[in-house]
Amino acid sequence: MYDFKGFTLDWYKELFQDTRLLIIVLNTIVVALLAALISTMIGVLGALAIHMARKRNTKNALLSLNNVLIVSPDVIIGASFLILFTMAGIKLGFYSVLLSHIAFCIPIVVLMVLPKLSEMSPSLIDAARDLGASGWDVFSKVIIPYISPGIFAGFFMALTYSFDDFAVTFFVTGNGFSTLSVEIYSLARRGISLHINALSALLFLFTMLLVVVYYFISKRNKPNGMGVGK
Amino acid sequence: MSRIFRFFIAIALVSGVLLYAISSLNSEQGYSGENTLTIYNWGDYIDADLINRFEKETGMKVIYETFDSNEAMMTKIKQGGTHYDIAIPSEYMIDKMRKEKLLVQLDHSKLPNLKYIDKRFMDLPFDPKNHFSVPYFWGTVGITYNPKMLNGKEIDSWSDLWDPELKNQILLVDGAREVIGMGLNSLGYSLNDTDKGHLLEAKNKLDSLTPNVKAIVGDEIRLLLENQEAAVGLVWSGVASEIMAENEDLEYVVPKEGSNLWFDNMVIPKTAKNVDGAHQFINYMLDPKIAAQNTEYVSYSTPNKAALQYLPKEMVEDERFYPSSELTEKLEVYENLGKENLAYYNELFLQFKMHRK
Repeated sequence: MYDFKGFTLDWYKELFQDTRLLIIVLNTIVVALLAALISTMIGVLGALAIHMARKRNTKNALLSLNNVLIVSPDVIIGASFLILFTMAGIKLGFYSVLLSHIAFCIPIVVLMVLPKLSEMSPSLIDAARDLGASGWDVFSKVIIPYISPGIFAGFFMALTYSFDDFAVTFFVTGNGFSTLSVEIYSLARRGISLHINALSALLFLFTMLLVVVYYFISKRNKPNGMGVGK
Repeated sequence: MSRIFRFFIAIALVSGVLLYAISSLNSEQGYSGENTLTIYNWGDYIDADLINRFEKETGMKVIYETFDSNEAMMTKIKQGGTHYDIAIPSEYMIDKMRKEKLLVQLDHSKLPNLKYIDKRFMDLPFDPKNHFSVPYFWGTVGITYNPKMLNGKEIDSWSDLWDPELKNQILLVDGAREVIGMGLNSLGYSLNDTDKGHLLEAKNKLDSLTPNVKAIVGDEIRLLLENQEAAVGLVWSGVASEIMAENEDLEYVVPKEGSNLWFDNMVIPKTAKNVDGAHQFINYMLDPKIAAQNTEYVSYSTPNKAALQYLPKEMVEDERFYPSSELTEKLEVYENLGKENLAYYNELFLQFKMHRK
């Protein structure tokens, strides 16, 4: 990088020949997707539970517990998970990384969904009940559609958190499983090769593409009305 | 509901496809199955071509994992939950791991190629008789400088750094042993000196260097020197050879008063599952031709005497990286000085850092 001589695509070629690195990239993406997916499901249920807690004290206690993972430093979370997994006899690798990512993504989802829930008028549920909706109907046809913007926001927040997490992942990777951030960090001793730059460029284009696709999907869906959908 | 439901199903499907892709890539590479060997090494510290050849020759599959610091590596091995068959730590960490019984004793009868290693690099204080480790690469601590920025001035000793002309031009690595060691060496004391008087003297000498010191930095020293932010740097030879490849103006010198000699050695951690395969791998890496190819890729100094004949002449005869035997006699390996002395080193280094200007 010291002196710029011209343009080349060599580094892209080298990147695609490096199967190990490609596996790591795919690992990172899969972990992020699955962690976001599962933590969104758990997080939504958690937010509902907090929202429906009758006593004020229970609500506050649950919320504070939820915030523990957000306020505690990543390094502490990572080290604790390492100790937990090794004590429980869980082999470090894909599942240890996935479990820890799910764990630190859930509070984020909860925090994204809660405001939507408290914004929802309770009379909506009462009205649905009045018209004969069962518990499941209320959940799937009233609550979920209403809070869906919060769910999507939570999902994407969780996705990005998981995607770029370094500190926690660093502790719980092992046995041949690694993610991108950890791998790039361990290249630091010998200087980072330019094919990492090529990879970053591709990942950037990929995320841009996702954003564009997401934009068109949400634009197409708009006429369906806001709030209660089909 | 249905929108979210469809979205989630799509995500699950995508993950499923990706998981399938990973597992097929993995099996294509042969990472699954029983006969595997897991290597835990610094990032980009081996020629990947050699791993492929080893796999072909032995039918074993190699899983290559990387770490970024000795401490991180030791934590992973000590905590368990992993089964690394080979690790490549630096010498002071080997001493520590040996004492904490984290290493498997090597069976020298399975390592016939050990005879190619230069006798100078065997039986060193961090691992007497090489019971636990075999040298992988070695190097020195020295001075990188940019003659162009110094109007052609040459540096060949530690005391040259005290030249008032170098005002605000020197970068130091943030390491207590390295920096205090520089002070000790410039006074003619041993790097492993524990005499408090000598150490204090070294610290006072270093204090008088402060007008010349631009900064005390970590890994970013690489980039700063490469981009000519400073003319002089205290670095390890490995770092020097890399930045010299990027910026041809730079020079490296091992100061004539003497300096530190460091090693990265191959060891077999206690958690290893394939101890036999690990021996095979170590023996393979000690083969002169293999070692030569690896050296050309990594460009650190090889301890393998027989490998030197396969290396380009200008590489082997480069006294900056293969110092003459006269100079190597002055080089010292860091000894484990014990907690108390190390704390004193750190204390002095901290004082030196605070003394700045």
